[in-house]
Amino acid sequence: MSARAIRWLLFGFLVLALPFPMLGPFEVLVPPVRYAILLAAAAAVALAEGAAGPVPWILGLLALNLVLSLAAAWVAAWAISRALGALRSPALRGVLVLGAVCAGLALAACLPIYETGFGRAPVANLLGLLR
Amino acid sequence: MVPVAVLAAAATAAEPFARSESREPCAQHDPLRRPFFGDTHVHTRLSFDAWGQGTLAGPREAYRFARGEAIGMQPYDTRGRPGGRIQLRRPLDYAVVTDHSDLLGEVQICENPDLPGHDSIVCRVVRGFPMLGYMLVNGHVYSSEEPTRYGFCGIDGGRCIEAGRGPWREIQAAAEAYYDRSSACRFTTFVGYEWTGMPGGNNVHRNVVFRNAVVQDYPTTYIETPSQEGLWAALERECLDAGTGCDAIAIPHNSNVSNGLLFTIAGADGTPIDASQARTRARLETLVEVTQHKGDSECRPGAEDELCGYETLLVPRMMDLATSSGRAPEDLAPRIFAREVLTEGLVQARRLGGANPFQFGLIGATDTHLAAPGMVDEDQFRGHAAGPVSSRFGVPPYPDLPQFNPGGLGVVWAEENSRDALFAAMRRRETYGTSGPRLTVRFFGGWDQPEDLCEAPDFAARGYAGGVPMGGELPPRNGSGALRLAVWALRDPGDRGAPSAPLQRIQIVKGWVDAGGTGHERVHEVAGDAANGADVDLATCVPRGAGFDQLCAAWTDPDFDPDAPAYYYARVLENPSCRWNQWVCNAGGVDCAAGRVPDGLEACCDPEVPRTIQERAWTSPIWYVP
Repeated sequence: MSARAIRWLLFGFLVLALPFPMLGPFEVLVPPVRYAILLAAAAAVALAEGAAGPVPWILGLLALNLVLSLAAAWVAAWAISRALGALRSPALRGVLVLGAVCAGLALAACLPIYETGFGRAPVANLLGLLR
Repeated sequence: MVPVAVLAAAATAAEPFARSESREPCAQHDPLRRPFFGDTHVHTRLSFDAWGQGTLAGPREAYRFARGEAIGMQPYDTRGRPGGRIQLRRPLDYAVVTDHSDLLGEVQICENPDLPGHDSIVCRVVRGFPMLGYMLVNGHVYSSEEPTRYGFCGIDGGRCIEAGRGPWREIQAAAEAYYDRSSACRFTTFVGYEWTGMPGGNNVHRNVVFRNAVVQDYPTTYIETPSQEGLWAALERECLDAGTGCDAIAIPHNSNVSNGLLFTIAGADGTPIDASQARTRARLETLVEVTQHKGDSECRPGAEDELCGYETLLVPRMMDLATSSGRAPEDLAPRIFAREVLTEGLVQARRLGGANPFQFGLIGATDTHLAAPGMVDEDQFRGHAAGPVSSRFGVPPYPDLPQFNPGGLGVVWAEENSRDALFAAMRRRETYGTSGPRLTVRFFGGWDQPEDLCEAPDFAARGYAGGVPMGGELPPRNGSGALRLAVWALRDPGDRGAPSAPLQRIQIVKGWVDAGGTGHERVHEVAGDAANGADVDLATCVPRGAGFDQLCAAWTDPDFDPDAPAYYYARVLENPSCRWNQWVCNAGGVDCAAGRVPDGLEACCDPEVPRTIQERAWTSPIWYVP
């Protein structure tokens, strides 16, 4: 597996599953994809009904956290893929990364490691978060 | 409705009240009046923001709670069973459910799949992401300077207004069901609502309280009536002047986060208010909430009065509460604290030929969003779910923002515990607010009151006979009589396990306007001992040191100027006691020095958060008008 493919695979995994603490006055620990969902929901309301009062502030806060969490995911994917470059065997790199991603997804799907903040439950696993 | 009976206040100068409703006379009736403790600011699941915080208790549960019964609170399981229960140690005498009139119908539509609009994007977001929906909708409606109904409300918002009629009927039915019309007079309810204007994030909220069961057909909303003048006009048109027997007052609150917009002295076009507008305001706004969950609004912190730093929020706007670190007191807008507004009232009255727009009394309340009126004990504080800290998933270890507090109580001096008697007291401003404790405070003013009034066994009878009680305006001065003010305070007995501390002192706060039209304020120590050395054991929260079970003073103003309009109110202070956060931190086993800080209790080690408070009471003023 090429370094580029590893980087994108890891980035995709981290976007889906990396818990990222929200910057701002709320206790939220969710992956970038959740910030994207929240931003989409808020934007849909704003587009449909207008953005009065603090709504632009909320949109900005969610957008900021989405960008920051995506950046964190990208940096992490880049750093890990670069470190894995030390392994000479592309096949071994592929097995390692695929195994880690699968294990990570399995754990994220089973364990309530996310603090949803804006959700219907205080904590959730990945499936609950994306439901 | 026609007044059917007038109850005489025999042998006193106390004005009687008129009966406007059918009910049994109260067995306990005291012409010299008794203090009734209650809460005029209560939200239930019918308020959008309370519902968004997971509150499912309604008006009936709120009244049951106020009467001393246990009720459930969030988190609720999938079958609707509550995860926690709350109960007052001491029941209240009266309560008013004041759900937000705005969004009454929207809550119903988003809750009920049978109603059109249920599948709108707004309702979907509200249901799928409750806290996000809470912030978006609150911001869209309450904080807008040009509020509008959502699209799913249909043409002119008709669908949402119609859906709001059900909860409005429910509020009235609950008030009727829990009002004790028997001769026992155990508990009084009032129909009410909150008009929730917050233009640009600046709080201009008012709680409307109706005298009896005759109320507006529909509560006035900020969305349809987005100005305080509009609210007053609606109340006069649809209630006070409608000839139906309807009567109401409006209680402004949280002037501390109003950015100066709650007590305006000019119209939207900059024109100074006229005497007619001043009289309209004074007619409707006889009381102001001086303290509540979201801070104290008595006076501006500063060097003049070191006790003004009590539970103060130093942010300009309501919407800054969660995001701003605060400002210097002098950088905040004028007229955001009750004392400076009372002084401004004197200035305005001089300009307007005697019409004082700000001749209001004081009262305390909670602003609970847990349907928990009167839940004010510092050692049992669970937050009030009225801000960014949510109890939706259970009470957090640190239950609220550090700068918030459990709120206070409103105390009403009335002959009996009935709607007419309590409402008459609210109208004549014979009320006081406490920061939570059940202090009893009497305050009278008059010309040539006896110096030994405190020793008189008939203190109240003499007080009424020789002058006016708190909230009153002194009669014209006869000759060269001296103005004497008499204040008496009794400590909270702390019964049923409620924490209480001895009294420390009584102060009289005077505000006046000089010949040049400039306002002044001064605080006088009149009883007790400010340097009694009392404190509290932070490890156990047990108060230490000497104090008083009761205090009394008959005080003559040494600087009385017969030409200067003035007001006087009393402030009664307890010895120091633990603030709610100290109780929480002790219970959590926090030891900052040893680095033992359980998760969620990090704020326990924030040196900026006070650990002790001096609980207090503020009486309504007595005015002197030359």
